[in-house]
Amino acid sequence: MSTLTTSLARGIDRVTGSPLGRYQAAVIRIGISFVWLCFLIREWPNRHEMYGTDGPWNWEMARRLTADNHAFTALVWSDSGLWFETVYALALVASVLLLLGWRTRTMSVLFMIGVLSLQNRSVFLGDGGDNVIHLLSLYLVLTRCGLVWSLDARRARRRARAAAAAQKAEEKTEETPGETAGGKGNPVGHDVCGIVLWALCGLALAVVQAAGHSRMMWTTNGPLPGLGWAAVFWGLWLVQGLWWCVRRYAPGEPRAVLNVFADLAHNAAMLVIMAEVCLIYATAGWYKIQGSRWQDGTALYYPLHLDYFAPWPELSRVLAGNSVMVLLLSYGTVAVQVAFPFTLLNRRVKNVLLGVMMIEHLGIAVALGLPFFSLAMIVADAVFLPTSFLKRLGSSVGRVRERVLAGRTEAVPQQREGEAAARTLVP
Amino acid sequence: MEADDGRNERSGSVAGLSLPSRVAVAIGVAVVTVAAAVHLAMVFLHVAPPNVVSKEHSAAIGDYIYPEFEQNWKLFAPNPLQQNIAVQARAELRGADGRSTVTQWFDLSAQDGAAIHHNPFPSHTQQNELRRAWDFYVGSHDAKEQPMGMRGELSEQYVRRIVMLRLGAERDGRPVERVQVRSVTRSVAPPPWSDEKAATKPTYRVLGWWPVTTADLPEAKNR
Repeated sequence: MSTLTTSLARGIDRVTGSPLGRYQAAVIRIGISFVWLCFLIREWPNRHEMYGTDGPWNWEMARRLTADNHAFTALVWSDSGLWFETVYALALVASVLLLLGWRTRTMSVLFMIGVLSLQNRSVFLGDGGDNVIHLLSLYLVLTRCGLVWSLDARRARRRARAAAAAQKAEEKTEETPGETAGGKGNPVGHDVCGIVLWALCGLALAVVQAAGHSRMMWTTNGPLPGLGWAAVFWGLWLVQGLWWCVRRYAPGEPRAVLNVFADLAHNAAMLVIMAEVCLIYATAGWYKIQGSRWQDGTALYYPLHLDYFAPWPELSRVLAGNSVMVLLLSYGTVAVQVAFPFTLLNRRVKNVLLGVMMIEHLGIAVALGLPFFSLAMIVADAVFLPTSFLKRLGSSVGRVRERVLAGRTEAVPQQREGEAAARTLVP
Repeated sequence: MEADDGRNERSGSVAGLSLPSRVAVAIGVAVVTVAAAVHLAMVFLHVAPPNVVSKEHSAAIGDYIYPEFEQNWKLFAPNPLQQNIAVQARAELRGADGRSTVTQWFDLSAQDGAAIHHNPFPSHTQQNELRRAWDFYVGSHDAKEQPMGMRGELSEQYVRRIVMLRLGAERDGRPVERVQVRSVTRSVAPPPWSDEKAATKPTYRVLGWWPVTTADLPEAKNR
């Protein structure tokens, strides 16, 4: 009994003590915003046909369907072309900023609004890839996905350095106040940009709410039963405000408690993302086992002969022409998908399988002409990449960047060095 | 507003908190645990085959999952699609003399196929638009082509508007009065090493003529 209590206590300590998987969260953030950004750029010439007021699935039809199924889309708030262009542009901008990790927590919400608005506006355009992006954009809102590899993290580092420098300077010369050294490293309270962004978001929310036709309810028609979108958005907005206030005026215990809550939500969301990926593979695999084509090992032959999924008929013919190859790939796909959730028990096997699945998705991207679906799946898979690998990846990307930047601007080598050193210190 | 700053200097500091804070944390742990468990259970029951639990609570599961957490991961399962379904359309044109003529069938899916051919990044307008619109139509109509509810009506209008976008409101300077849509389903021939019989003739599903109104004319220019 006591061992159970101890391990329970240790578990609680762990999920409340720190945000777990911060590199994995950052990979999901960067990956999914990159995929969505590429998709938005790819579909830029087709955007009116897909989501515009007068496309085949026009505004009125979308309004009727979403009034019935209560899916969230900001695009039904107005049928003006300007509003449509604004939403599409905002979705693009939010993707870029989320990718860079600028004001991550706000951008993750705007990113989600962009994804839901476009996808739910024309729900019959989507495929499995859109579904993955849709779910991850919802879950990302609850994660602290900007702790590493983000502009937010860089700003935090600089502020910490400036604060440390200021303290040192103060210790050396008692007579000069901290103002001189600390002026550059914005202490928390002087975050004008953040306050402006927060105020703008609040203003936008108020306008939308006041306009009335937004269908933003408090307890109905939201993402979960009993939780309306108005409650979600205002709630997130208030939490942001509270977070700032606590950091500014109550840095002690209230802040520690809020931090615990943030970690808790993050850890739960990461767990849900991981479980979601397992469910994707389990479902895909277990349903396949029941199929006669997967049993006789010819399944892969058929999609390669579907006109909608054959961008490279020559390649499809080669792949589908070899009976043993088709058999091995068909059986291999089922085996890998069914096995994946269980390989999580063994780190090495899991990593091997992860690599295999990513390669298979790259193959699907090309052979079946599904690049965005495959990329989204690879991003989802990445939640299981080992931290040590991600750290190594991060530092080699950092080194490449240093070299590129050093090559271009030789004037400021000292600053770069300092930055590189600081990066290694980041947990 | 203020970004996450990543400072997590405390570790296991819950023990160092005051009693009220620890109570708050305990409540937080309980709420988040239950929420995550409920969420995962709901998603599991949604993607699992119908079973004794999911059948009994189907309303609650549906309420929870739809619309934002809907998902379908039966990718190429239980069996991959083994048919090429082509959607084709033809138009009835009104002549200057008042007499009508009927055009040939245009294979709209073949147009999609041509656009996808050697295209590393096919657009959703080529790969999903017509294909899924037809799925939507088939799924919301009965065997006598009668629409089932609002979704059935919407699917008809959607297919009609896609057809009109691709055919154009006029052909040879003559306005399109009515359109007819059909699907041609061809089975993929079994692999050469299989002893199954080769595919039989294509099957047709021919819809009635639809009068075209201005509501059926999309104005998406940038195609």
